[in-house]
Amino acid sequence: MNRIFQWIDERTGLSGPVRDFLNYPVPKYVHRNFLYTLGGMTLISFLIQVVTGILLAFYYDPSTEGAYNSVDYISYQLPLGWLVRGLHHYGSSAMVILVSLHMLRTYYFSAYKKPRELNWLTGVLLFFLVLSFGFTGYLLPWDQKGYWATKVGTEIAGSVPLIGGFLLRIMRGGANLGQATLTRFYAGHILLLPASVAVLIVAHIFQLRFHGMAPAITEKAKAQSKTFVPFFPHWAITDTAVGLGLLALLVFMTWANHAPLEFPADPTSNSYVPRPEWYFLFYFQLLKYFPGVLEPIATIVIPLFLFGSMVLLPFIDTGEERRPWHKPITTLVSIFYIIVIVVFTILAMAAYA
Amino acid sequence: MAAPKLPPLPAGKGVWDDHAISRRGFLEAILGVLAAIGALLVAVPGVRFLIGNSLESSATKWVELGKVADLPTAAVTQVNYSTRATDAWREVTQRGTVYVSSADGGATFTALDGTCTHLGCIVQWNEGEGNFICPCHSGRFTRAGEVISGPPPHRMRQLAVKVQNGTLLAEI
Repeated sequence: MNRIFQWIDERTGLSGPVRDFLNYPVPKYVHRNFLYTLGGMTLISFLIQVVTGILLAFYYDPSTEGAYNSVDYISYQLPLGWLVRGLHHYGSSAMVILVSLHMLRTYYFSAYKKPRELNWLTGVLLFFLVLSFGFTGYLLPWDQKGYWATKVGTEIAGSVPLIGGFLLRIMRGGANLGQATLTRFYAGHILLLPASVAVLIVAHIFQLRFHGMAPAITEKAKAQSKTFVPFFPHWAITDTAVGLGLLALLVFMTWANHAPLEFPADPTSNSYVPRPEWYFLFYFQLLKYFPGVLEPIATIVIPLFLFGSMVLLPFIDTGEERRPWHKPITTLVSIFYIIVIVVFTILAMAAYA
Repeated sequence: MAAPKLPPLPAGKGVWDDHAISRRGFLEAILGVLAAIGALLVAVPGVRFLIGNSLESSATKWVELGKVADLPTAAVTQVNYSTRATDAWREVTQRGTVYVSSADGGATFTALDGTCTHLGCIVQWNEGEGNFICPCHSGRFTRAGEVISGPPPHRMRQLAVKVQNGTLLAEI
């Protein structure tokens, strides 16, 4: 076995970089702290999406006439189709939750501060790409939910002043929601987005390795910051164990409640109330408060402000202080946003119930 | 601009070709220009390809809404039309919803596109209140399609209509 490894190493020179990667020293305060597994869990949930997505692509038919039937076939006739589609369905929600929690952890630990600004920025981009995955993904079954949520979603882009009409047509591939839209969303969902996310994940992990973990913020953690364990196997086993737990949870959720598939898309339906995935509900609720001419506030001003403030955060909050309980402004702002998102989501759920 | 100095090669590896190195700055500039040309050669047609025919205005067409004699003259009638249409590269049955009404007992008809001008849901006719209501964000329109309340930014789209051989047609 050793001779085989040696033979490969002589021809690839990989053993050095691989050993460096595996032996990477992880501070003791990070090891076995659940909050530090969130990034790894997000990566694992992405890998689950990649594997289940590749499997689904073997059966999915990206045409307006065949998409619904192919998803129906996957869900109800294909051996283990319910499982693969269910894992993909619940996995997407898991990814949104995990990437959000990972960002919150980074935020509260001030891990975006110098010299990790670019790591925060790649993370912000990854967050929006994850949401784009959700948006492009739920059109694909071409059921009522996907059709109407996409119709409304592209209309929102269409209401942006000046460039709205252009955006809407670029997203739809024409004036109407149809075959060109489905093909576009499919290509984006299975090629463009995964490739972009993969590149950014590599950049994100490279920067993490370059800068190391952000400084500890509690006295207890600081006391352990000079003691290290190797990434492999000590840290990797934590991620693997929690990752298996995540997979088990997704399997259980799928088994208990198969991924939904609504009736086929019907453009003449006047009683169907479009309802986006739960993680976009707060935004749909927000739209209700900006009628008529005020609508661009909800469609462009607020999203741009949120994106801009996320991007600028590490350049605005440049102080040395990292403890959230000593940083009332950033802490209160985040709590305000969390409350708004939770309350709006509940209000939207109540309205749709 | 002088090119940055190269680090020495590892001992025993050999030496940099000083003659070639002296032209390094020039070569870097040429490389930059060539790379930019290459990137533009890929990007410009690539973007044009992606935009494709998205921005082309689709031709209007007349669709049949029903026999004039069969359309109620006092009420607002929901008509779901279906017509063969080209959707990108695919021949499909295009379906849509139009609300037909008459203000003069059937002499002339008004056809309103059932699409809410807010975010594109299909509105419902509320006979009791005599107005249209959108199930998505509760936008309301009068029988004539004017906005009463809610988020719609402008009135419902009124379609051109004509009667041909006793059949009412609307231009979609």
